[in-house]
Amino acid sequence: MNIQKAGYHGLYFPELKIALDGYHPDADFVFISHAHADHMPRNRSASVHATPATLGLMELRGFRGRSNPINFHETLDTGRCTVCFFPAGHILGSAMIHIESDSGTLLYTGDYRTPPSPASEGFAAPESVDYLITEATFSLPIYKWKSHEELAEEIRNFAKDSLEDEHTPVFLAYNLGKAQEIMHMLASLGYPMMIHGAGYKLCSVYEKFGYDLGNYSAYDRATCEGNILITPASALSNGFASNVSKKRIAYCSGWAALESRQTQLTVDKLIPLSDHLDFFELIGFCQRLSPKKVFITHTPNPDVVQHYLQKSGIDASFLQLEAPSEE
Amino acid sequence: MPISFRTFCETIQVIRGTRSTNTKIGLFAQLLQQIDEPWELKLAAQFAGEGAFDEISGKRASVGSRTSGLAAANFCEIDYDYVFKPCRTATGSSSEAIEKLMENISAAIKKRSPKELSLTDIQQIFEDLRAARNRSDKEIILQEAWKKMTPVEIKYFIRILGQGSLRIGFETRSVVASIAKAFSKNFEDVRYAHMITGSIGKTALLASQNRLNDAEFRLFHPLSFMLASPIESRMIEHPEYYLAEEKFDGMRAQVHVSGNSVQIFSRDLNDITRSFPEIIDFFRQRDMPPTVLDGEICVYKNDTILPFQLLQKRMGLKKPGKKILQEYPVLYIAYDLLYSGNEPVFDLTLIKRSELLKKIAAKYNLAVASQYEISGEEDINYLFEQALKHGNEGLMLKRKNSKYEYGQRRKSWLKVKKPGGSFDAVIMYAHAGSGKRGGTYSDFTLGISVKNDERYEEEFIPIGKAYCGYTDDELKKLNDRISELAVERYGPTLGLLPKLVVEIEFDDVQVNKRTKAGYTLRLPRFKAIRWDLGPNDINTLKDVEKYYQNKLQQERLPQDQNPSFSFH
Repeated sequence: MNIQKAGYHGLYFPELKIALDGYHPDADFVFISHAHADHMPRNRSASVHATPATLGLMELRGFRGRSNPINFHETLDTGRCTVCFFPAGHILGSAMIHIESDSGTLLYTGDYRTPPSPASEGFAAPESVDYLITEATFSLPIYKWKSHEELAEEIRNFAKDSLEDEHTPVFLAYNLGKAQEIMHMLASLGYPMMIHGAGYKLCSVYEKFGYDLGNYSAYDRATCEGNILITPASALSNGFASNVSKKRIAYCSGWAALESRQTQLTVDKLIPLSDHLDFFELIGFCQRLSPKKVFITHTPNPDVVQHYLQKSGIDASFLQLEAPSEE
Repeated sequence: MPISFRTFCETIQVIRGTRSTNTKIGLFAQLLQQIDEPWELKLAAQFAGEGAFDEISGKRASVGSRTSGLAAANFCEIDYDYVFKPCRTATGSSSEAIEKLMENISAAIKKRSPKELSLTDIQQIFEDLRAARNRSDKEIILQEAWKKMTPVEIKYFIRILGQGSLRIGFETRSVVASIAKAFSKNFEDVRYAHMITGSIGKTALLASQNRLNDAEFRLFHPLSFMLASPIESRMIEHPEYYLAEEKFDGMRAQVHVSGNSVQIFSRDLNDITRSFPEIIDFFRQRDMPPTVLDGEICVYKNDTILPFQLLQKRMGLKKPGKKILQEYPVLYIAYDLLYSGNEPVFDLTLIKRSELLKKIAAKYNLAVASQYEISGEEDINYLFEQALKHGNEGLMLKRKNSKYEYGQRRKSWLKVKKPGGSFDAVIMYAHAGSGKRGGTYSDFTLGISVKNDERYEEEFIPIGKAYCGYTDDELKKLNDRISELAVERYGPTLGLLPKLVVEIEFDDVQVNKRTKAGYTLRLPRFKAIRWDLGPNDINTLKDVEKYYQNKLQQERLPQDQNPSFSFH
C-alpha cells in the first residue's frame, strides 16, 4: 500500500488516484472526512466529495470549490476502487472513509468518537478491514472518558448553579462541533444562550439536519450578561464578555482531563468532553477490526499505541503527516 | 471525630479546583475543625503545609519520582519506559499520571480495595518508607499502601511524600490563615508561632489548645531567613528610612552559638557546620552566651573578599582538608541579631538589633557589616560602586524600623544588584514543562557556538537551561516554531534544528567540569527572543571564557579603606 502526503496533512494514494482530507494535483477524487480546518483542503477551489452536512459546513467556512454530496452507506465506484462513508460520531457530517480495491479493504477514520457525540449521526463501522488508518489524538491510558450522560449532567449543572449564584456561565469550546454539542445538551434547560459569531453561523446547518440547539442567539457584548455563553478559548483573551465581572468559566475539551489546564487557562471548571475516542476505546476498536496493519496518525504518542497493538498481535506503525498539535 | 485520609484528600482536591483564596482557606479551616484528635490535627496541617515529616525534624522518606513511578508502573502492569513516561510527560506531573492510571487501568482497579485509612495510618507508612533501606523495599511498601487507597488518595500521598508543595494553589501562608480561622486566632499570632516552632503541625496543635503563647524560639533550631526584594527604582521614597549595607559575594548563613556549642545553618536550613571548621573555632574561642546571628560566609584572604566561585570549592565539602583551608579561608560577617540575652530579639526594630549586635561584636570581636545612612539616589550610586569595587554583588537597603520578618520576602529589605551578563545563544533542545506548564515545551537548553573552536567537533554545545523570562504569548510562539524545527524526540525532550536565537541573561558564569563547555550560567533566563538573529550571530565559548576570566581577575579593593565590614 503506497501512501503519500497530500496538501497540509492529508493522504494521497497514487495507485488509486484518490486523496483524503487534502488536495493533490494528480487525484481523480478528493474525499473529505469532516469540516474541521485541519481536514479541509487548503485549496479552496478543489472539487471534493463529502457528506451533505460536511459540505454545508465547509461552504460556510469559506470553501468555494465544487461540492459532490455522498450520503452515509452509499457507495461510489471510482473505476479503481469503491468508496463508502460510515458515520464517525465526531461532529455533524463526520465520516470514516472505507475504500475497497484490488489491494484489499481500508478504513480511514478521519477523526472519530465512539460512543458517538449526541450531536452527530451516530457511529457505524465495517466488521473487519485489511488496513486501518486511525487517528490517535488521545493515545495514552491517562485518557478515559465519562459517559455523555454524565458529562451532559455536569454541563447542565454548571450552567444552572452559576446562574443561581448570579454568575454568567461561560463554556470554552471549539466553535464547530463541541459548541453545538454543548448547546444540544443544554437545550432542554430552555435558558437563553449566546454563541460566538464564528460558531453561530454554523448552527443553522445543525438545525437543518434536525438537531435541537435550544434557545440561542449570536453573542452580543452589550446584552450577554445572564445568558449562557459559548466561545472558543482564544476569544476570552480578546475581550469576550470582559464587561461581565461575575462569570464562571468551564473549559470543555478532551484536554480538560489534564489538571494543569485549569491554571493555564484560568478557568473555574474542567469538563473533559471530547469529540475523539479515548485510549481504551481506540485499542478496543483496533482489536475488533483486527486489520493486517494499523497506521497511526494525528498523535503525539504513536509509540504507546504501537506498543499496545503489538502486544495484542496487530502490526502497527506511525504514519507521520504533520507535527502534533492540539484539538 | 477523626477524619479519614480519603476525606482529607477529597477536601484537598476541592481546594485545588477552587479559585478564590478565601474559599480555599475556609474549606481547609472547616476540615481542621472536624478533627478532635490532637495528633491527627497536627498531621492534617503538616500534610497540607509541609509534607510527610516536620520540616525541622530533618526526616525524609527518600522516595524519588523514579521509585514511585516504577512502583506505579508495576502496580498497573504497564511498561515504565514505553507507557508510564509519556503519560508523565503529557500531564506534567508524575503523581497526576499515577492517579489517572490507577483510575483507568483494570489491573490496578482489581488490586485496589480502598479502606478508610486514618492520618495516623498514613504517617506510619511514611515512617516505614523512611526506615526501608533500598528501592525494592520501598516499592513493596508503596504498593501495599496503594492497595488500600483511591486514586485521589494515591496522588496526594505521593505529593505529601515529596515533602514540598501540594501544588493546589494553597501555600503555607494559606494553611496558617486556615488555622487562624478554624480556631478564631489572630493571623499574626499563628504566623509567629509557626515561625518560632518551624512546624505548621505543631502550630495547629497549639492554636487548637489555646497555647500559641507556648511557642518559643529554641537555640540550635534554625529560623527561616528574612529575604529581600529586588529594588524597582533607586529613586526610593524616604531614603532616610533605610540603612545601606554591601551585599556580600558570599553565602548566607545563620550561626547559633552558646559557649562551646556552635552550629551553622544554610539558607535552606541545612546544618552546614562541619564544612566550616574555622568558623566553629572562631566562635568557640569567644565563649559567648546564647546568641543567634544572621550573616554571610565569604572567602577572605589578604584583606580582600574573594569571588563566590572560590567559596564554591568549600561548599558541600564535609571535611575540608588542610590545603583547602589554607587556600580558601573563610570569614563570617554578621549583619543581624536574632537571639541574645536569653530571648529572641527579632521583634525589635533593625536599629535596635544593630545597636545590640554592635555591642556584642565589640565585646567578642566579631566582624559586622558596615551600615550607612543614605539621603538619596546619589548616595545609593556611590555606595553601590564602592560595593562593586570590593568585589561584592551590590547593595542592600534595610528599613530602619522593620522587624526581622523571618521566612518572608517583603519590601523591608531591598537589594540593588548589578545587571547580570547576557549572551546570544541558540535553542538546542526543548523540554516538556511540568506542573502548571504541563503539556507545553517550557524549558530550553541553550547552546553557544564552537564552530571555529578546534577543541570541538560540534557546531554548538550547551551552556545552560532556561525556563523563565518569557511571556505567555512568547512561549506560545516558541512552541509553534518548535514543532516545525523538531528533528529528534527523546521522551519529553525535542532536539531542534539550531535556528531560534535567544538573548539570555544570567547572574554569573561558573566553572563546571562535568559539562561539555566546562562552564555553566548561574540563573539563566530569557531576556529577549531574537527573531532577527540567526545561529551565525551568537556568542562563542571563547566569549564565555573571557567573561569568566575578567570576573575572576577583576581587581578587588582590599578592606583597608571604607571597608564593607569591620571588627568592632
